Amino acid sequence: MFACIFGRNVCRSEGRASADAENQRSGLGDLAFTFSPLVEQTTDATLVLDISGQDLLFQSTGCAISTGEIQSARKVANAIARRAKDLNIKINVAVASNPDTAIHAARAFKGVTVIECGEELSTIESLSIKTIDYSLASIDDKRAEELQETFALWGIRTFGELARLPLPGVAERLGQEGVRLQKLAQGRTNRQLNLVRPPIGFEQLLELEHPIDELEPLSFILSRLLNQLCANLHEYAFATNELKLNLKLQDKSEQQRVITLPVPMRNPKMLLRLLLFEIEREPPQAAIVAVAIVAEPVKPRASQTGLFIPLSPEPERLEITLARLAKLVGADNVGSPEILDTHRPDAFRVKKFRLDQKTHRNVKNNSRFALNAGEAPALPVMGLRIFRPPWRADVRLRHGTPTRINARCEQTSCSIHGEIVCVAGPWRAAGDWWCKDVWARDEWDVAVIDPKSFEGEVLCRIFRDLTTEQWFVAGIYD
Amino acid sequence: MNSAITKQEIESALAVRFGDVFERHGQRWVETLTTGVSEIDDVVGGFPRGAITEIRGAASSGRTSLLFSGLAAATTQEEICAVIDCSDTFDLSSAAKAGVDFERLLWVRCGHSLERAFKAVDLILHAGGFGCVALSLCDVPAKAVRRIISSWWFRFRRAIENTSTSLIVLTPVSAVRSCASLALEMKNERTLWPGTMSLVSSNDSGDKNAIEAERRLSLVATPAAKPHVYPAHTHFLRSMQIRANRQRPIDWSAGAMRFNPQLH
Repeated sequence: MFACIFGRNVCRSEGRASADAENQRSGLGDLAFTFSPLVEQTTDATLVLDISGQDLLFQSTGCAISTGEIQSARKVANAIARRAKDLNIKINVAVASNPDTAIHAARAFKGVTVIECGEELSTIESLSIKTIDYSLASIDDKRAEELQETFALWGIRTFGELARLPLPGVAERLGQEGVRLQKLAQGRTNRQLNLVRPPIGFEQLLELEHPIDELEPLSFILSRLLNQLCANLHEYAFATNELKLNLKLQDKSEQQRVITLPVPMRNPKMLLRLLLFEIEREPPQAAIVAVAIVAEPVKPRASQTGLFIPLSPEPERLEITLARLAKLVGADNVGSPEILDTHRPDAFRVKKFRLDQKTHRNVKNNSRFALNAGEAPALPVMGLRIFRPPWRADVRLRHGTPTRINARCEQTSCSIHGEIVCVAGPWRAAGDWWCKDVWARDEWDVAVIDPKSFEGEVLCRIFRDLTTEQWFVAGIYD
Repeated sequence: MNSAITKQEIESALAVRFGDVFERHGQRWVETLTTGVSEIDDVVGGFPRGAITEIRGAASSGRTSLLFSGLAAATTQEEICAVIDCSDTFDLSSAAKAGVDFERLLWVRCGHSLERAFKAVDLILHAGGFGCVALSLCDVPAKAVRRIISSWWFRFRRAIENTSTSLIVLTPVSAVRSCASLALEMKNERTLWPGTMSLVSSNDSGDKNAIEAERRLSLVATPAAKPHVYPAHTHFLRSMQIRANRQRPIDWSAGAMRFNPQLH
C-alpha cells in the first residue's frame, strides 16, 4: 500500500520563496520519514511513501487479512494526519494500492482518503481530466496541452470517461502515451517509487535520566553516541574534521567544546579518546544532564605514500599523542615553535603542531639515502641554550667591564660562578619604548672559569637590564 | 665443574649444537640519520636509527650545536622531529640559524620536571613515525641525571628498536650507559674570540694540547677560521673534540674527531 501526503499550504506558496513555505516543505519531508524510510518526493508538495509491512505497528485484531491490511492502512493515514496537525501542517492523505492513484486522490480529496484494492476507478472517476498528472505518464508539457485539447474535442471531461474508452481506439489515435494516460485514469498503474534519502544530520543527542558527574560513566554515553555518529558518517562515505560537544549541566548552564581535527577521521575510538582528553583537561563545573555531539561532515582523507618520502606519524595517533602531551605538560607547552616578528629577545609562540602533507617540498636528492651517501652538509652553527627566565646574577665590574660573575638558577641548583677570563661586548638592544613594556639591555658574551671546577670555560651570554640596572645570565653557548 | 675448562672450550663444545651463537656480531646499522657534520659522519656514520645516541659533555662543549645540526639535516630531509626540552632552554633563534625547520619540529617544554620529560618521550616514541627524538637534559644537575633509573632507557630502547626513529639524549654526565648504541663525548677544545679583549693571558698549555691532539688524530681537515670582527655576538668554539664509542666496555680510543662550528 502507498500513502500520498499532499501539503495544501506548500502547494499554494509554490514559487514564493518564503521562510514559511520552506519550513512547510522540510516539515513534510520529516513527516514522511517518520512513518517510512521509503519515500518518493514527486513534487515539492507531494510525497509518496510505501507503508507496506506496518501491520505490526498499526495492527487491527480480529480482521481478515485483506480487511486487516486496509484497517492498518487507515490507521497509518490517520496517524499521519494527526502528526501533521501536531506539526501545524495542513495536508491531505490518500492511501491506495498504487502510488499514482494515491497521488491523484490526495490532490483531489480533502482529509484522509483510503482506497481499497479494486475500488480505484470508482473513487477517482469523478475527477476532472484537467487534474490528471501528465508527468506520471512521462508526457512533457507541450504534448500535454495537445492531449488536453484532443480530450476537449472528444468531449472527455472526467477520469471515468477516459477510463471507459476502448483501449484499441485510444492506442490507435494517441499511441502509447494515450494507453499510459488511460491506465492512470483507471488507477491501474504499477511502478516503483523513486526513493529519496532522508536528510543527512550528523548530530547525536542524549538526555540523561540521572545527572553524571564522573568521567567513566560519561565515556560510555559518549562511546554510544560516537559509534552511531561514525556509523552514519561511514554510511554516507564521510568523515569529520570538527566535533562539537555540547554539554547541558545541572546548574542549567551549557558548555560547548570544539575539537578541530588535523585530518578527517571517523574512528569512534580515536574520537572518544580526544573527547575524554578534552573533558579531562577542563572538567565541567556541574553534573551533566544532556550530551549532544555534532560532526562536521567532510570527505575522508585520501593519501598515498611515496617510496622516497620519509615516514611520518600517523595523523590519528599523532593527534591522540598531542592530546596526551597537552594533558601532561599543558597545552601551551606542546607544539611547533614560531619566532615572532619582533626584535625582543626570545619572543616566540607555540602553535599547534600539524602535519601538513602539502608542505612536502621537492628537495633535490630528497631520499634519506642521499645524505648518507656522503653529501656534505653545511658546517653547524653555534647553539645557545637560553634560560627562561634569565638567571639573576651578581657581576663585578672593572672599568665598566665584567670581571667576575655569580649566578644561580632559582628552580634548580645549577649555578655559574667564577672569574670572567674573556669578554666581548657590550651590544646594546632596546625596543618597545613606545609602550609600557619597554625593554633595553646591554649584552655581553663572556667566558667564565670556575677555579674549583675542572670543566673548563663556560661561555655565557649575560646582559644588564638598563631599566632596572640588574644583571642576568641569558643563556649558555653550547 | 673442572676449572681447567676454559670459556673458549665451553663455547667450542656448545658450538657443535648451537652454531655460532657465541660469536660477537658487529652491530650493523641499517640506516643512520646524518649528524650534519661530515667529520662525525665519516667516523660514526651518523645517529643510528632504532637506537639511542648519548651526547654528553660539560657546558659549552658543543652538545646543543651538534643537536641543532642533526635536527637541521633531519628536517631538511622532511623527517618529523621532536625535542623534549626538560629545562625549557631550547633557543629558537640559534636553531633557526642552524637551519631547523620548525614546521617539522614538535617542541615539548617540561618545566624542569624529569618525570614529565620521560613520560613525554615515552608517548612520542610509542606514537611512532618520528625521524629524530631529542631529549635535552643539559641543564639537569648531574646528581639528578645519575639517579635516573635504567628501566626508562631499556623501555625507550625497546620502543624504538626496529623503527626508523633515532633517540638522542643530551646529558652532562653518562646516563644512558649500556642502552646507548652510540655515545659521543664532547669537549670544547679551543675558543675563538675575534675582536674581543682578553682579560687574562692565553692558556699556552691548552693550545699545545690541542695541536698535539690534532696531530695525533688527524681525522679532519679543519678549515682555517678567518679572524673577522663580527658586529653581533661572537661565536667562540673554534674547534671541538668529540670522542665516539660503540663498544662495551667503553673504550674511548675507538674514534675521535674534531670539527669547527660555522661562524655566522
